[in-house]
Amino acid sequence: MKIDQGFTNRSNDLRRLKQRSSVLFLLVFLLIVVGLTKIIKLTVIDRQEYFTESEKNRIITIPIYPARGLIKLSSGEIVAENIVTHQLAVKKSLFDKSTNEIEDLKEMLSEDWVEIEKSNDEIINGYDEVILFSNLNSKQLAKYQVNKARWPSIYIKTQLRRFLPHKNVFSHVVGHLGEVTKEEARQDDDFIYQLSSYLGKVGLEKKYESKMRGERGIRTIEVDVYGNQIRELRRSFPKRPSNLFLSLNLSLQTLAREELSGRKGAIIAIDPNTGFIKALVSSPDYNPNVLNKTEKGSPYPKEQEKYAPFFNRAISGSYPPASTIKPFLGLLGLEEKVIEESTVIDDEGFFQINGEGRKYRGWKEEGHGKVNLNKAIVESSDVYFYELASKLTIDKISNFLSLFNFGKNTGIDLINESSSVLPNRNWKLGNIGEPWFVGDTVNMGIGQGYITVTPLQLATSVSAIATQGKIFRPRLVERIGDQLIEPELLFSIELNKKENWKSIEKSMISVISSWNGTAHNLYKEDGMTIAGKTGTAQIKSLVDQELTVQEEYEGIRKIETDRDHALFVSYGPLPNPNLTVVVIVENGESGSSVAAPIALKLIQKYQKEIFADV
Amino acid sequence: MSRRAPLDYEINNPLITSRYSFSKIFKDLPLFISLLTILAFGLFMLYSASGQSIGMIIRQLFYISIGLSLMLIVAQLKPESYKNILMNSYWFGLLLLIYVLINPADGYATSRWIDLGFFNFQPSEVIRLILPLSLVAYLCRRESSHRTSDWFITTIAAFICFYLVYRQPDLGTGLIVFVSGLIPVFLAGLPYRIILGYLFGLAIVTPYIWSNLLLEYQKQRILTLLDPEADPLGTGWNINQSQTAIGSGGLTGKGYLEGTQSQLDFIPESHSDFIFSVIAEELGLVGILVMFFLYGFIIWRVFRISFNSETNFERITCSSLGFIFMLFILINVLMVIGIIPVVGVPLPLISQGGTSIIVHLLAFGVILSMKKIVT
Repeated sequence: MKIDQGFTNRSNDLRRLKQRSSVLFLLVFLLIVVGLTKIIKLTVIDRQEYFTESEKNRIITIPIYPARGLIKLSSGEIVAENIVTHQLAVKKSLFDKSTNEIEDLKEMLSEDWVEIEKSNDEIINGYDEVILFSNLNSKQLAKYQVNKARWPSIYIKTQLRRFLPHKNVFSHVVGHLGEVTKEEARQDDDFIYQLSSYLGKVGLEKKYESKMRGERGIRTIEVDVYGNQIRELRRSFPKRPSNLFLSLNLSLQTLAREELSGRKGAIIAIDPNTGFIKALVSSPDYNPNVLNKTEKGSPYPKEQEKYAPFFNRAISGSYPPASTIKPFLGLLGLEEKVIEESTVIDDEGFFQINGEGRKYRGWKEEGHGKVNLNKAIVESSDVYFYELASKLTIDKISNFLSLFNFGKNTGIDLINESSSVLPNRNWKLGNIGEPWFVGDTVNMGIGQGYITVTPLQLATSVSAIATQGKIFRPRLVERIGDQLIEPELLFSIELNKKENWKSIEKSMISVISSWNGTAHNLYKEDGMTIAGKTGTAQIKSLVDQELTVQEEYEGIRKIETDRDHALFVSYGPLPNPNLTVVVIVENGESGSSVAAPIALKLIQKYQKEIFADV
Repeated sequence: MSRRAPLDYEINNPLITSRYSFSKIFKDLPLFISLLTILAFGLFMLYSASGQSIGMIIRQLFYISIGLSLMLIVAQLKPESYKNILMNSYWFGLLLLIYVLINPADGYATSRWIDLGFFNFQPSEVIRLILPLSLVAYLCRRESSHRTSDWFITTIAAFICFYLVYRQPDLGTGLIVFVSGLIPVFLAGLPYRIILGYLFGLAIVTPYIWSNLLLEYQKQRILTLLDPEADPLGTGWNINQSQTAIGSGGLTGKGYLEGTQSQLDFIPESHSDFIFSVIAEELGLVGILVMFFLYGFIIWRVFRISFNSETNFERITCSSLGFIFMLFILINVLMVIGIIPVVGVPLPLISQGGTSIIVHLLAFGVILSMKKIVT
């Protein structure tokens, strides 16, 4: 009985336990189903996705950047090189702003020059890596190394930076580098810039950026979760960039710069037979090393700031061509048979359209008397060209000048070249909103009015006279690595009468050789033969009919920036010219006494240089 | 009399078979062997997960030896002989939990560890075993049926343990301890009306606790536990890496010692709580299923022992331990695959960790001791 009851109790208890267990088993079963479903989703359905994820975790690629290509002259002289610099940098994500690590460092390094790029507060924006101090010298490096435990989040970053041994001499040719911006980094699909790396911002550095940066290599490594390298999986080597070799001549460039120092202006010296540039100077200039962060100080003296030292006048400055346009118009006159060499007019000091109305005055009050084409160029008679221009009409002038590359970009291998203005009827209607007047044509006869040129464009146009019609694209880079750049003939001008070239050239030679020439001051008995033309570009119009030209100008020149620009275009030595030189001195007033001697010196210097080479 | 005769005959039989003597020591040979198998498997995986650290393997082997020895010693005891000790072990567990709150080991952010000089251990690991065992012992202290007060006393006892662990602070482990305590109470027959009463009470009290007793940061912590997507503690990264490891292992895994996530330290705590991810990454779904099969076999043996044993105490004890074992496996796996929030629960018998291994093996000692030797 007792046993039976115990047995019954036992079986009852067991049944209840099994019931209760079933409830829990059901719960467990549900959880197992949930878990297994998730595991199968992970391992079977989404496997590929997670596998990719795990590969991304462990495999990282580290770019290898080649050193930037050098810029040299064809003679081998180094224009831009790379030097090792040491920076102190910080990773923003790891930086504890509450410490005064930066202030502390600043204090210790400040006794010597160090470029302090960022202060504590500036670490907020931009990339993760921020460079704090640049260009540490060996003493500062040593100081840092000894005490580096004091600045745990700051580390040394070694970079190659750009250095121009000749400093300012090539500033407007080479340009400078700057830290890559987010936009620049985004824009370029072919090349991935490293954070805080430098790229060309202007000049050749920018124009040839893609040639000089090379191609980056990639190191593929396996890392652990802390980013430690476990092993290298593969490596592709970076492609070395090409060096650039420039056609510039160091002595010529240096001389040109010296001649312009203290003035505003530009000089272009170009080989008319090839288009290769031998000197390109814009003044004032700047020290690119300061911007490249390899030299201390300011890129230019403070007082020059108002003269825009970064502005490349040689390719971007727009000036009226003034009297330098006269040979081209003379040529057109001969071609169109509007005049002949012997055609003589009476220059009484002014010109009136159809003999009435406004008086267009020449620079010489009393006039040049009887003037033919030669005398008009040699003495730079304005009245002769007023009359010639009015006979030629704007349409013919515009078409003809356009053959000489007026009003066009030359396509030089630099950036920021401005196009000059070669006006015609449509241009004036479109840009000024007025129809073309004959008066405009008359003004154009002396290169004033709407027409403007850049020094570079003027140099190519003048070269066309030197080569009897051949215009080559001006270039600075003669060779990229092993690849030679061939001269590029833009086009050739065919005159109806070939002798016309000679007669214009003869007049341009006489500008110097003839006793009455405007640049006779350059003349030497046994000197080389040079063709040239002076120009004096007015900035202020002379409008007061009551005063003489001289009297009115005396009032104007009191303000220095209103003074005339001095121009001189030339090529030589004849009969086989190898250099075209254009000199523009802003507010220099006199083409003959200021601009012309510079051109002569350059041509002479160049002959010596060539002779030395041979 | 006649009932006892065969037993006496068996015991006194001079022709003792070898199987019989094995049964006497190991009680349940298939269970014992499967335990050894999963321990060996654990060591094998631990070697990979620890970055091939021989030192860690030796330490783990040491813990396993202690655990196995204790297990076999306990297996030899008669359950009735330690029933009273188990019942009173509750107080010992309580003492440990209070001690750890007052005098925690140095070097940890939370008061979860006790420093024994040679060995740091977590009382909350111990209480997981002590609490259910003492509650079963209490509920089964008499053969007669339970009084209503027994249910409330056991519930309160479990709740006290929960609260003390929660104060460490460790809400997750506290809940696990609480559930471990409630499992035997439920299995022992906690009447459904009381369960309903509890749930009703909980529903009434919760909003009150929520709005009046909990501080803002505590609410935040609970919300985080409930919603792992909101992730102020940065555990999301861990789970993401763990899922990446499991998923990238695919069907057959990347191969032993070849798991990139594990070998390159992308899996956090890969040798302890997250060892499952290492197994999945290196051995794949197949490896996981084999492991589950082993666990399943062990659990089946446990319930076989439970349902065949003589007394209510033995049956409920074995079943409870079986369910708690399953609970731990489930919580660990669900945590590692990202279904439930991260709580510090190691994978039983596989994860590195002395306390966990020894406590689990002790539990199996208790189970083995309850094996009825059938002849």
